Amino acid sequence: MSIGDGVIVTDEFGKITRVNPQALRILGHKEDELLGQWFPQKIIAVNPQDKAIPLIDRPMAKAYLTGKSISEKSYYRVADGRVIPVHISVSPILLNNRPQGAIEIFRDITTEEGIDRMKSEFISLASHQLRTPLSSIKTYSHMLVDGYMGDLTSAQKKSLKTIIFASNRMNELISTLLNITRIESGAIAVSVKMLDTKRLTDEVLTELSLHASDKKITLSLRCTGKGSTRLKTDGLILKEIITNLLSNAIKYTPEGGNVSAKINARPNDIMITVTDTGWGIPKHDHDQIFSKFFRAPNVSKLETTGTGLGLYLVKGLLEELGGNIWFTSKEGEGSDFHFTLPRNYTGPKTDEYDPKVNKL
Amino acid sequence: MANILIVEDDRDLNNAYSIILNSEGHTVETAFNGEEALRKAKIFSPDLILLDLLMPIMGGLEFLQAYKLIKLHPDVKVLIFTNMENSPEVAEAYRLGAQRCIIKSWTAPHNLARVVNDSLQAPSIPAKKSK
Repeated sequence: MSIGDGVIVTDEFGKITRVNPQALRILGHKEDELLGQWFPQKIIAVNPQDKAIPLIDRPMAKAYLTGKSISEKSYYRVADGRVIPVHISVSPILLNNRPQGAIEIFRDITTEEGIDRMKSEFISLASHQLRTPLSSIKTYSHMLVDGYMGDLTSAQKKSLKTIIFASNRMNELISTLLNITRIESGAIAVSVKMLDTKRLTDEVLTELSLHASDKKITLSLRCTGKGSTRLKTDGLILKEIITNLLSNAIKYTPEGGNVSAKINARPNDIMITVTDTGWGIPKHDHDQIFSKFFRAPNVSKLETTGTGLGLYLVKGLLEELGGNIWFTSKEGEGSDFHFTLPRNYTGPKTDEYDPKVNKL
Repeated sequence: MANILIVEDDRDLNNAYSIILNSEGHTVETAFNGEEALRKAKIFSPDLILLDLLMPIMGGLEFLQAYKLIKLHPDVKVLIFTNMENSPEVAEAYRLGAQRCIIKSWTAPHNLARVVNDSLQAPSIPAKKSK
């Protein structure tokens, strides 16, 4: 056999019948050390702490028992004692639905794991290094405007507000880029706590009020539904989602318009709707609105500061929280963006909740 | 009103937060790394600690571990300062007893003062017991 990955074939008793040169190279064994030997005894699988994995938990055993192909990440202890991360795919060989053997294909993913680790470390470092000077710009500008250093003229206050807006835009861009990189690298850590969605939304509206009032846009919040506005979720991620949607609504609404948030506290979930009286999204652009880098042409001409990443990010973040997002929009009239959050979310990869069952 | 210990290695931000919280009537002490914070906490008895995570010499997580091990002030509130939201470090800080996370680059001065005042009034949450 000649193939880039390691390949091992076993018979119905789990004994190794064939092994390719790549497998021998990865494992550090000679062919005669493996042929005829019982697979689990010779191919040692461990956890990252170098503790042996029970036979029943190994992909090979699962493939034999279930008759299905199994794909997993694991760790092998090779001949020289090192533990290496591997990606394993095992397919059973069936005759009349009975396993006659199996084929395992595996590869050493040490380099890929190293690259992922470097990506995560870069993200953390970039996040800190880029944002520290921005924190100072924002904090001192706000302190000046808020009068901590004495009274200012209205012209001075106006200039400072320009600095604040610019630093907010830069911060949003850094946040968006870093969060997208984290989502795509699988490096988002979800930390679930009980929180009040009404209070969080109120906080975001307060933070955006300066921007809205400059465009003479009215902001409002109301709550409906008989349930509580409190639920378990990740507050920082949710704040990012709400901030993105409200900030978009303000950005794409002309002067004198309205932006509102509605929290509908339903029995199994909370649905939050952000409504604006803005330029709206043309029907032929609806399919692409959550795509990376997409900006609807009707607004790109009118509002040049967007990146086309906000809604792509919001969708990705909502998936981390077990939620779902959809919208309705009419060009020239405005848009409604709805998203749901399941109550008592315990963490990523929950597959029990279907938001469409509860959609009004 | 309350004793607040600010632990932040960036001197500009450390200074800014001191001005803001002093103007709220709190008594403020500052430290620029976890080691200095441990020394000052013993003498100062803070009611609330504003703790940056990424600092030289001793970072925020190491400080939290050492602080809890010594069991200096069980009822103290700890608010984490970070620009690394959604990171495993923030999750670990919560596990070690932090009550809340403040994103530095998002938080305006009046919001900082409000968050601190709200946290001082909230009941204490005990740190999770280790297995």
